[in-house]
Amino acid sequence: MLSLAPADKRKAECDAEKVEQCLQAMKDQDLKALEELYHRTSASVFGFALSVLKNVQDAEDVMHDLYVSVWSAAGQYDPQGKPMAWIMTITRNLCLQKRREYRKRSDIPQEDWEIYINAKQNMSSEDKLILAECLKTLSDEERQIVALHAVAGFKHREIAKLLETPLSTILSRYNRALKKLQKWMEESNEDNKS
Amino acid sequence: MKITKADAKAKIRQAYAHAVPDICDVILSDCEKGKGQVIMMEETKKKRHTVRYMMAAAACLVLLLGGGFGWNTYRLNHRVAATVSLEVNPSVQITVNEKERVLEVKALNRDGEIVIGDMDFSGSDINVVVNALIGSMLRNGYLNELANSILISVDNEDPAKGAALQEKLTKEVNRVLESDGFLGAVLSQTLTEKSTLQKQADRYGITLGKAQLIQDILDSTTGHTFEELVPLSINELNLLLTTAEADMAKVSTMGSASDKAYIGEEQALQTALAHAGISEEDIAFYRMDMDVEKGVMVYEIEFYNGGYKYEYEIDAVTGEFIKNKKEINEDFVTGTDQGVPSESVKVQPSDSVKETQDHYFGSYYGTEHHEEPVYEDHYYYENGTHHDDRRQSGGYYSGNGTDTGNGANAENGGNTSASITLEQAKEIALAHAGLKADAVYFDKAKQDYDDGILLYEIEFKAGGVEYGYEIDAQTGNILDYEWDYD
Repeated sequence: MLSLAPADKRKAECDAEKVEQCLQAMKDQDLKALEELYHRTSASVFGFALSVLKNVQDAEDVMHDLYVSVWSAAGQYDPQGKPMAWIMTITRNLCLQKRREYRKRSDIPQEDWEIYINAKQNMSSEDKLILAECLKTLSDEERQIVALHAVAGFKHREIAKLLETPLSTILSRYNRALKKLQKWMEESNEDNKS
Repeated sequence: MKITKADAKAKIRQAYAHAVPDICDVILSDCEKGKGQVIMMEETKKKRHTVRYMMAAAACLVLLLGGGFGWNTYRLNHRVAATVSLEVNPSVQITVNEKERVLEVKALNRDGEIVIGDMDFSGSDINVVVNALIGSMLRNGYLNELANSILISVDNEDPAKGAALQEKLTKEVNRVLESDGFLGAVLSQTLTEKSTLQKQADRYGITLGKAQLIQDILDSTTGHTFEELVPLSINELNLLLTTAEADMAKVSTMGSASDKAYIGEEQALQTALAHAGISEEDIAFYRMDMDVEKGVMVYEIEFYNGGYKYEYEIDAVTGEFIKNKKEINEDFVTGTDQGVPSESVKVQPSDSVKETQDHYFGSYYGTEHHEEPVYEDHYYYENGTHHDDRRQSGGYYSGNGTDTGNGANAENGGNTSASITLEQAKEIALAHAGLKADAVYFDKAKQDYDDGILLYEIEFKAGGVEYGYEIDAQTGNILDYEWDYD
């Protein structure tokens, strides 16, 4: 159950039931379960952290801390069928903590994603352009909502709860953001043709 | 080429997935090393240092100002500087001196007496006392999975000191709960406007803290009376507070109130849907609030389907219906194909956009991909932003998804050539915005094709506001408009 062929790893989705099984197994210090959890959820965790922080190094730190703390706190997780809500709440708290650290030092983190994306090997040029577009043109709130809905598969009302924002606001921001991206995709497709 | 929402979502998902740095091995080896070790989260510790430092600095200042001896020393030690109350259901009041040493701990009700027991706190540090009291509340089962909310109220004549003490205690309570592995919800507030609240508190025999919390909820919700909320527990009040979509100026919250004593939002929604005979996929939007109805906690659910508005109130404990209502949604007329409302939706053409209402939370209706509402008609101000998305072309969206290739041949016929000019479209937009052409700067004015409709996209700026319009090139109807502060 807990082993995945390497090729399937990235495709694995954050299926709530499977994620919960991983967390259960982690209570017994099962490292294999942690590995599976990582492959199932890292895109969601990293996507959301990057959306909040706009800095790859920090998002990576958050991702690292997230799995370390989930590993140590798995025993406290109370299975309710919503493991992703738990994981993303911790991710959000870690991101906010990161931001507070910067504020305390009156430091502004560099946006280092452009260099990172350019150097990243397994991203197609379309992937790179789409990610850059998300980071450039969407507002912080829009980007977070898009990452949670499109990448982590959160429902709008779950996003509303996580971000402590009224559902109506989430819906209109999401629609606006997706419309922008859709339009951009259509336009860049046409540019490619001509 | 037409990109559907689903396509866009898939592309975004893939881009993010491919961007993930592979640090799995590092994580695994770090966790392997830490096996069996409990890793404490650093945050609360760090924070507490700052607060402690602040408190020490404040205490030094008091010493310097007061001269530091004689009467002042006595005053520092014995005068009540702040009153703190802790409430779950047991209510306990703590008075402290300028040095934040405890002068007295008093029970405000029977449960409070049980919590205090035979502990003697005088002269102890406030943190130690709070720690012991919370521990006792947990041991005695007053704080439990079903009711996890605690209210901390601080009363200090100096608002800055009051706020600092409030923060310090919130952190301490949170730390105690966390170290016990307990998921608690901490509400904290500094008392203000005491004279009016004191009257209410005396009248109903409750604490000032609870009176202020109730007033806070009353200020941000409608349909409740003070009297109605008095019998509720702090946890129930916290649940009401969570669903009140207002920014809480006075009370700050950490963690979320337990709803484990209730059937839960999911089950409430399913109960309502089952009664309505609709599946979750077919509703475009719903809202759910926890509310209190004649002293009973209820889930209030509202959703739209096929031109009807459904309203339910479900008893949060038993899951029984208290109220259900189905009415025609007046703002909405479905297409002929009633059975598939999500595929073919028509919105009544209307020139009277409800501009006069500042807080009109309109209806959400119609879906494209079931989950994403296409039509939004809502007005609200939020961070100085106001926008309104509306389609009112009166035309059908055909959901057959055929791609016309060059995009110029509309599926719904007729709408292939413009019958109004770009200049006319600009005039329509300006007239709607109530502006003159010489007062605005046009960013964009061009013909475009969107969802099978030939339209003009017009964007302009005036007086620090950005306006965006989409105008049907055939009918001159305003399909969509929004404005934002620049």
